[in-house]
Amino acid sequence: MKKLVSRRELLGLIAATGASGAVLKASSALDIVPNTRVDIPQIPFANPSNRPSAVILGAGISGLTAAYELSNAGYECVVLEAAPKAGGRCLTVRSGDVIDEVGNPQVCEFDDEPHMYFNAGPARIPSTHRNLLHYCSELGVELEIFVNENKEAYYQDDAMLGGKPIKNTEFTTNARGFMSEIMAKSFNNQELDEPFDEWEAESLLSAIRSFGDLSEGDLYKGSTRSGYLKGGFLDHGVQKDMVAFRELLKSRYMNNALNANEGETGPVLFQPVGGMDNIVKGFVRKLEDKIYYNVMVSSVQLTPDGVDVAYEHDGLKYKLQADYCFNCIPTHLMTGIDNNFPQDYQEAMHYVRRGEAYKSAFQSRERFWEKDDIYGGITWLNQPIQQIWYPSHGVHKKKGVILSAYDFGGGMHFTKLTQEQRLETAIRQGEKVHPDYRQQVEKGITIAWHRMNHMLGCAARWQKNRSGMSHEEERLFHTLRQPAGGRHYTIGDQVTMHSGWQESAILSAHWAIADMVERRMGTSAMPGQRLS
Amino acid sequence: MMRVVIARGVSRTILLPILLLLALFSPALAQQYKAIDTRVQPLSNKICATCHGAYGQGNSVVGAPSLAGMEPWYLRSQLIKFRAAVRGVPSDYIPGYEMRAAVAELSDAEMDEVIAYIETWSPAASEAAITGDTARGAELYGNCVACHGAAGQGAEALKAPGLAGRDDWYLRRQLKLFQSGYRGRHPEDIEGAQMRAAAQLLKSEKDIDDVLAHISTLN
Repeated sequence: MKKLVSRRELLGLIAATGASGAVLKASSALDIVPNTRVDIPQIPFANPSNRPSAVILGAGISGLTAAYELSNAGYECVVLEAAPKAGGRCLTVRSGDVIDEVGNPQVCEFDDEPHMYFNAGPARIPSTHRNLLHYCSELGVELEIFVNENKEAYYQDDAMLGGKPIKNTEFTTNARGFMSEIMAKSFNNQELDEPFDEWEAESLLSAIRSFGDLSEGDLYKGSTRSGYLKGGFLDHGVQKDMVAFRELLKSRYMNNALNANEGETGPVLFQPVGGMDNIVKGFVRKLEDKIYYNVMVSSVQLTPDGVDVAYEHDGLKYKLQADYCFNCIPTHLMTGIDNNFPQDYQEAMHYVRRGEAYKSAFQSRERFWEKDDIYGGITWLNQPIQQIWYPSHGVHKKKGVILSAYDFGGGMHFTKLTQEQRLETAIRQGEKVHPDYRQQVEKGITIAWHRMNHMLGCAARWQKNRSGMSHEEERLFHTLRQPAGGRHYTIGDQVTMHSGWQESAILSAHWAIADMVERRMGTSAMPGQRLS
Repeated sequence: MMRVVIARGVSRTILLPILLLLALFSPALAQQYKAIDTRVQPLSNKICATCHGAYGQGNSVVGAPSLAGMEPWYLRSQLIKFRAAVRGVPSDYIPGYEMRAAVAELSDAEMDEVIAYIETWSPAASEAAITGDTARGAELYGNCVACHGAAGQGAEALKAPGLAGRDDWYLRRQLKLFQSGYRGRHPEDIEGAQMRAAAQLLKSEKDIDDVLAHISTLN
């Protein structure tokens, strides 16, 4: 008798064999990975004799998006930016650029060549981030493939294999082999066989065997998928020895080696040719005369029919009155700027915590990773530096820029160190994977987002608890998403459920514009569904 | 319609270049990176404003107290302590550590400039957020009077800053830092050590709330 198995039961079955990695893999295939659609707000073109005005605070990605769309619809726009350049956290560092960290300003000394740059903020564009890709296309920003996972890169963990690095392909091949052996053995049990008819059972079992490259008798005896010890072209390939499963289990990377590159960081990813800030430059080309730099906003006041903004620029004080304000100043800095926002709106701004992400980079004298078959991708280390990224571009050129540390969650470890300590730490930990690292790297730069002038933080943190937003947090979030006084919109990835991505910043601007149009016209401006 | 009004000129003398001295680093490491000399390449903006606000009104979210209304002598003494790493170390209290980094290379002349500039700001009204028993607080405040004055006006001769008009979140935080020994621990912080001892007189959260409630009536 054919008995159908539900999706939950199937996952339960796989989980019952102890293969959590496979469950995660299966979940992301069956479940919904966060997705967006291209939702450009349809803004009725402004009456030229009575153009509505908008002041945009901050030339980050969300502010630029708002200014671009509103300008296209005939609105009168002014963008006020505190820094001497646009982009906010969309920052690409090249030769001669200043890294404006409070108390530790640096100047980048990389060689002055087009491929010698470092994306200090966002560095990858998932193919599902359609709105960002839409602007890349519209603004003429040329893209190339970004390699996130590289099977020839390494995992390194002091707890595993005596700290010796292991190639990604060797780690994952062995982990899958042992796991599928367990799955295959469990699957042959009568009770597990039951829910499936003969064909289904055969199909699943053959998938399990193939998943781990099992040998006769459903045993894992190593696999040439981890690469050959020697030979393989002119001579027979000699298979590498198996790695003891118990060794792999010692490492926390058992938890993410099989799913680190799925969902949003799964293939295909892109990067702009020549640096992420080409997106910023694309917007700026369209908005050149509307952006004012080195502006210090000192007051934002809601009025019955608009928003008044006071600011200082070039030694003079100004006051500007606009119909609308789109504000991507980080909430934790906006709380220090005089304003008359409603109490609950201020409360929400006070609640959000600032992110702590930290990145650093070196110029390398030679592309030493290419001699180790590595072209792009990430080496993971269970060390404070966490990651080493090899460039996806500039293949076979003499030098390259590598990311030498990326701590997204708790970047304060590095932020608290002096510049020399930060770089020395990165070198010492990088040496765990690349023995000649110290001789290869030079001219290090560090970006401690918690201390970058005008920003003082990375991606906004709304949740105190990892398990999700509390009711109170939901309330505060939705308070900040609504326009204060019906005229002032807080925008940026800081008012999305998915901070830290440019797509979120863009969608926040789209949402705010659509809401404004709806309030003006009494009709919906969005082709799709309202997010909230 | 958008209208732009030029209000009035402001002082342009207040540029605060942060100078990093390469000489501090060992030669081998100095070659690893280049610190910027802001005398040659000034930074984009006034360094204090990002945290303390355009007119020194402070920002509790980043732990930056209001500066407007702080006594010049007190500002100077604390800037000197931060610069010399007498305050702002170790790194466990992030706002203090940030402040230390921000002024680490401030010259005496720059310090004069910034203090003179802060003096041009009118003190913003502090908002009392902490509630407590003011009568009990007044009693507890008896321990503070000798140095900080009955009206919380402070006394330069005793190196005791004014408390009236300071934000209560800031006073609470400093009391906690003194109590935990984070502030006033450094051997060169003589006044801090005194205050560290005095802060131990407040035995509970309620003691702190009550005394702060009293101080807020002194504004």
